[in-house]
Amino acid sequence: MNNKVYILGGSQTDFSRNWNKEGKNVIALLRENIFDTLNEVNLTKEEIIELNKNNKIAIFVGNFIAENYINQGHLGSLLTEVDPCFYGIPSARYEAACASGSVAIDAASSKIKDGTYDVAIVIGFELMKTVDSRVGGSFLGKAGYYEKEGKDIELPFPKLFSKLADELLIKYNLNREVFLKDLADISFINYRNAKRNSNAQTRDWYVCDKEIINRGNETNPIIAGELALKDCSQITDGASSIILCSDKYNKIRNNKSNVIIKGFGHRVAPLEFEKKMEDSKNNKYILPWTRQACLDAYKRAKLTVDDIDLFETHDCFTSSEYAAISCFGLCEPGGEHNVINSGIIDFNGKKPINPSGGLIGCGHPVGATGVRMMLDLYKQVSNKAGKYQIKNAKNAMMLNLGGSATTNYAYIVGKDI
Amino acid sequence: MNIKTVTVIGANGTMGKNVSAIFASFGNAKVYLACRTMEKAKQAIVDAYKSIRTETIREKLIPITYDNIESAIKESDLIFETLNEDIDLKISMYEKINDFIQDNSIIGSVTSGLSIKKLSSVFGSKKKNFFGIHFFNPPYNLSLCELVIHDETQREKALELSDYLTNSLNRTVVLTKDLPSFLGNRIGFFFINEALKLAEEYNDKGGIDYIDAILGNFTGRSMPPIVTADFVGLDTSKSIIDYIFENIDDSFRNSFELPNYITKLVGDGRLGRKVGLGLYKKEEDKKYVYDIENDEYRLVVKYNIKFANEMKENIIIGKYKEAINILLSDSSNESTICRQMIYKYIIYSLYVSNVVTDDIYSCDDAMATGFGWLPPIGYIELLGGKDKFYELVKKEMDDKWIKVLDNERLLDKLNKKSKYDYRKFIKS
Repeated sequence: MNNKVYILGGSQTDFSRNWNKEGKNVIALLRENIFDTLNEVNLTKEEIIELNKNNKIAIFVGNFIAENYINQGHLGSLLTEVDPCFYGIPSARYEAACASGSVAIDAASSKIKDGTYDVAIVIGFELMKTVDSRVGGSFLGKAGYYEKEGKDIELPFPKLFSKLADELLIKYNLNREVFLKDLADISFINYRNAKRNSNAQTRDWYVCDKEIINRGNETNPIIAGELALKDCSQITDGASSIILCSDKYNKIRNNKSNVIIKGFGHRVAPLEFEKKMEDSKNNKYILPWTRQACLDAYKRAKLTVDDIDLFETHDCFTSSEYAAISCFGLCEPGGEHNVINSGIIDFNGKKPINPSGGLIGCGHPVGATGVRMMLDLYKQVSNKAGKYQIKNAKNAMMLNLGGSATTNYAYIVGKDI
Repeated sequence: MNIKTVTVIGANGTMGKNVSAIFASFGNAKVYLACRTMEKAKQAIVDAYKSIRTETIREKLIPITYDNIESAIKESDLIFETLNEDIDLKISMYEKINDFIQDNSIIGSVTSGLSIKKLSSVFGSKKKNFFGIHFFNPPYNLSLCELVIHDETQREKALELSDYLTNSLNRTVVLTKDLPSFLGNRIGFFFINEALKLAEEYNDKGGIDYIDAILGNFTGRSMPPIVTADFVGLDTSKSIIDYIFENIDDSFRNSFELPNYITKLVGDGRLGRKVGLGLYKKEEDKKYVYDIENDEYRLVVKYNIKFANEMKENIIIGKYKEAINILLSDSSNESTICRQMIYKYIIYSLYVSNVVTDDIYSCDDAMATGFGWLPPIGYIELLGGKDKFYELVKKEMDDKWIKVLDNERLLDKLNKKSKYDYRKFIKS
């Protein structure tokens, strides 16, 4: 069986909140987010209990590393602490570093596709503000090959993505100044877009283009290699959840959804960054498995880049968004400068990237990010994105990465027509 | 409104430098920071760009002194005065600069409560361009801005100015009448002074830290009220509270009668956190609190207040309604004090908002974005809606408070939800 997977809707928490400072734990985070989502999609506790009587509902939890940040494991069971309506529901945690949200979505949609369940609750979360950035950086280093790429290294991931920037410069023989300006433009577009998003972490920040390009000053210091603070995504507390359902269930609802997941791509590249580069030496794409995940999604959706009205991409660093542009097919590899420079990916451009503000502007609670991206695709396609709505969006695509583009997940969401 | 150049007078004060940064960054304006000495002005520039965490505005910030202020004033589209709350000081500065101000330039004072009409009188024909523009500190974190007019003919220009403050400077603007301390401080210091009075009344139970324990973060704030007074500075708190007391004559005047122990502490120079000594003091890792009756400090007590503990346990896991139900169903003296203070806060906010502004919902903007407190109308929602709130008030408050609600039919004016989500204000 290969049933359609509908998205009924969802919600995200305000990513500017610091739950530790508010004196609240993970249960509070999950409680607020899950009930916002259930209210949003009009799903009652009674319906959940009824669905579970027939074993037709399941929960898929995306999270990277709560064991470190909040000393909590066995995350699939946490919703039972939120409310008894979740007792007995099949539930488990899915992990693929920063692509944990996507792997949870994938597991959920597989179980809808094959008819096992009618309704899937997908919830991704991360609480990251429990520790300082150095300790947190070390936790995140476990998304690489820790022994070689993370252990005893300060802020390992900025270092890996600055290496990606270095490799991009060499591989495509780029002009360094032009390249760094392109990366700055990417950052600024994300910060600017975030101003429209009332849940974005940086929506009230003052960030100007001059500061971003002016790397290495007091307020935009170099973090690693070519990358400065404003080239990096945020440390964020947050949760995001969506409800997926089968065609059969969608038909019996009062508020029917016409938004479906049209295709996905999932490819895992060599874990170590050096091996990735070795692997792609003779390939025109610097991240060929990222490109392949996008191609797989297009193929499954039977769509091309021409059909996509907007993208949400994984700008954990400006260099990762840069590399994603050709992976989406917006240009040939090495041609990213023209795409950025011509305004195509701006909010008002032909192919906007990250109208939400992305990981740089909206924030990056790692386990929530994939789910937040899909929620944003849903909002765009169903005309519910408010101030950051892209007009007439019919199809939208996301790219969610885990590690140094090790796990690559692409999804296409669109109107079911 | 096109504001290209701003002169900030008194730019070395906390408000002066912070607000200079707001004009230069969000407002993209060239800003003259005018101080008594060049040294002070240069230091203010460093503090200014740090307050908004961007070095890029540095080149837009120009240090000047009062001796060479003439050309800056002539060039400025907005002259913004942030001097101390001393009416004579302000007026003598206004007299000094008046002749240099262009006919169409806006003149603003950041006064937190002085009469705008009185201040405006110096400016003669230019007084139509004079406004109270009250930012809250630190303005990068607190977006409230009270815009005050002294004459109805200013309304059109006020709307233009409001648009500039909202859309260019990222402010939450509340239009208020020219009444003592406007809206935010009047509500905030009503609550703070009521708490200071309670501390005196309940000194035998523990006084200051006892009342703060009853009105802690779990009641919808980041800091308990008496800690807030200590943080703001007891001199500043005293001057705001005294000013309101001297300038209002409604039935809430007594709420602004400052307890004697505050006057004593201010007289002793024990001004609060900024001098390391006030209502609280910290020594090494130990926290002490002022004992009002004995005029000495003792260790802060960790009170075991059952209803508060239970509320916090629920807030930690996000059960806000359950937490509020504990408050509502508890019958201890402590919970009674807590409930009555919350009801007073809400009723007084609605009352003042109704008097001082044209939109009763302004009190929510003021308290959420000026103090970071759970705003009053958002609170009514948490308590179960306006009918339930009225019931609660009738059950527990004396006639004075019920009459306030009844006389102006304040609850009837609430016809939509608060735009603020109460959940993020309730802390454990």
